[in-house]
Amino acid sequence: MASAPSKLYADDVSLVVVLLDTNPFFWSSSSLSFLQFLSHVLSFLNSILTLNQLNQVVVIATGYNSCDYIFDSSLDLKRSLENGRMPVMCSSLLQKLEEFSFKDEQLSKEEPEGRIKCSLLSGSLSMALCYIQRVFRSGALHPHPRILCLQGSPDGPEQYVAIMNAIFSAQRSVVPIDSCYMGAQNSAFLQQASYITGGVHHKPQNLDGLFQYLMTIFAADLHSRSFLHLPKPVGVDFRASCFCHKNTIDMGYICSVCLSIFCKHHKKCSTCGSVFGQAQSEAASASDKKRKTPET
Amino acid sequence: MPQVKIIAKNFMDMVASLPAIKLDILYHNQFICEAILRSMPPLAKKYVLQMLYIDVPMTFKSLQEWVLADGSSKHQVAIDRLIQLRVLEVIDRKKETTYKLKPTFQTNLRKHLIYGGILSREPMPSNVVARLPTLEELDAYAHEQWECFLLQLISSGQAERSSSFSSSMMRIFQRGLLRQRDKEAPRLTESGFQFLLMDTNAQLWYIIREYISNSEEQGVDQADLIAFLLELSFHTTGEAYNLNTLADDQEAMIKDLADLGLVKLQQGRRERWFIPTKLATNLSVSLTDSSSRKQGFVVVETNFRMYAYSSSKLHCEILRLFSRVEYQLPNLIVGAITKESLYNAFENGITAEQIITFLQQNAHPRVAEKLPSVPENVTDQIRLWETDLNRVEMTPAHFYDEFSSRDIFESASDFARVHGGLLWEDAKKMQMAVKAEIHMLMREHLRGNK
Repeated sequence: MASAPSKLYADDVSLVVVLLDTNPFFWSSSSLSFLQFLSHVLSFLNSILTLNQLNQVVVIATGYNSCDYIFDSSLDLKRSLENGRMPVMCSSLLQKLEEFSFKDEQLSKEEPEGRIKCSLLSGSLSMALCYIQRVFRSGALHPHPRILCLQGSPDGPEQYVAIMNAIFSAQRSVVPIDSCYMGAQNSAFLQQASYITGGVHHKPQNLDGLFQYLMTIFAADLHSRSFLHLPKPVGVDFRASCFCHKNTIDMGYICSVCLSIFCKHHKKCSTCGSVFGQAQSEAASASDKKRKTPET
Repeated sequence: MPQVKIIAKNFMDMVASLPAIKLDILYHNQFICEAILRSMPPLAKKYVLQMLYIDVPMTFKSLQEWVLADGSSKHQVAIDRLIQLRVLEVIDRKKETTYKLKPTFQTNLRKHLIYGGILSREPMPSNVVARLPTLEELDAYAHEQWECFLLQLISSGQAERSSSFSSSMMRIFQRGLLRQRDKEAPRLTESGFQFLLMDTNAQLWYIIREYISNSEEQGVDQADLIAFLLELSFHTTGEAYNLNTLADDQEAMIKDLADLGLVKLQQGRRERWFIPTKLATNLSVSLTDSSSRKQGFVVVETNFRMYAYSSSKLHCEILRLFSRVEYQLPNLIVGAITKESLYNAFENGITAEQIITFLQQNAHPRVAEKLPSVPENVTDQIRLWETDLNRVEMTPAHFYDEFSSRDIFESASDFARVHGGLLWEDAKKMQMAVKAEIHMLMREHLRGNK
């Protein structure tokens, strides 16, 4: 899969949509406390707004069950956020975050057990892309948008389809998705997202210095990125999840009409409805890669 | 438009040329640090943020590792700018030079980013202040003041009312922009035309730079005025600030700024206050050389006709510079770009690139979405008409004929070539043209040969 083509940017005015992971299951077991994390992020947001008067910042919280807008720097137009920016931003952001966490918790009263404790990344990615589409339609004088994902929760395979759709639409609109992964393992989704859309993916070694990582890597505007040395993707994990059980697989069956992936043989494709023929013999040689089932 | 960028940035060059002690005092103010940060090229801003929490000096080589190979020229520009503004301190050691952020700048920017800054000047409470103008009224006021000032600047007859700038101040502003011969009306110079085609913020910075350099001669401290202006851009548009919070020379400056349209002065029963307009708060946007982001009003058609949706006299004057204005309706100016009008513009020193950039930057939103916003046949034709004037190049020269022998001809042409003066030669007819500067040398050479 080729990475996204790069666009020529005239100036460094940017719109950064930050997707904040607020999953309580992750933060309760993380070495960095949520409070410290927030202080790093708030200073980072303030630096983005300091760099250029026309920069904008939007924060969307990725919760366990839901997502919501937490902060939008372009909304408070009268005060124009020049004087006393930090106190205003902090108070409004923290208040909204508290309301959101409360609502999110209410929604998880009826939850089946055994689910991987992941956050709703697909929801917040879609919300971010909708906001960016609105910005694109606002005329020629819009800032250059990008998405920054601050994620710690593991990947939820059941969100594979939705996240891949979001990634491809971001690639189509040339919106880079940067990702900073703070969890223990690697996140295949975020690596793929940054690789496909032309963004930067990084897993900080030392979470105490998160602010410095954010400033060095993620504060670079799109215009300067073509001149700076940024972390390159090393070994992107391209494994997919099957559409039927949402398990992560690397060998499976693919419908030749719509390219949906299945782990077991099915009679009919659940996405496009095309009927499959008989499965080929199960005794596959080791050199066989993904087998395509013939379509009648 | 490279020349325009130099004029706009000169304000920052003026800041950079302040003595080190004064610059240090300026950096104690968090807002000035922010304004200076915003004025830097994008790569320089990035470097400042990266080095903000690094206390150890960094070598030149490690700085260079941050940038890719094709960004090295931008890298150098950024580093030079940082050193010019004394944000980056150079420590020369025996083996290599190292760089470190200036401590005052570093601590203040850190504080600004972590805690945010609040201006020491508070807006006045609304019960004391009488009716404040709405944001639209304020915009209209600023626009009107600025246009009036510009019209007065370029031609004293056209403005409806004159601003309260003394005529000596106006002459200082006009210095370099207008040229006056005896018994003639003042005419715009080449830089005057370029000035008109710049965008508003760049023009503002030019005027402010002239104002500040002039005030130095009158004994007012430059650094104070610069600090005041940079701080002004962080005030809130539409809020009233009490005049008694200003120092004396700042108060004198405020009156002049009101004439330019940056602030609006009002007074109540006991208090007097000033209200910053959008022109003031948008000042820091234009400190860098980013493209201007304002709404355009010009539509250019492929048949060279031009429609400008504007009712401002200033726009009409600007369009008259390079096009033939045919009709002027209440909200529309209709004109055509013709060969004669363009020749007129070229004679006055305007280049084709400036005209094209002006048309592109001021394109009406309806056509601005399309690529190209100005039709290609129009832009190509403007450039072609410009090169028409450069078709013939003249060099004073001397023509040599009737050489007695081929050897003399060849030695003469070698001699001319060695001295870099040979313009043309015809070996068959034994004729050559030589630059006028080496004519005397040629004569001696030929005499010597005989």
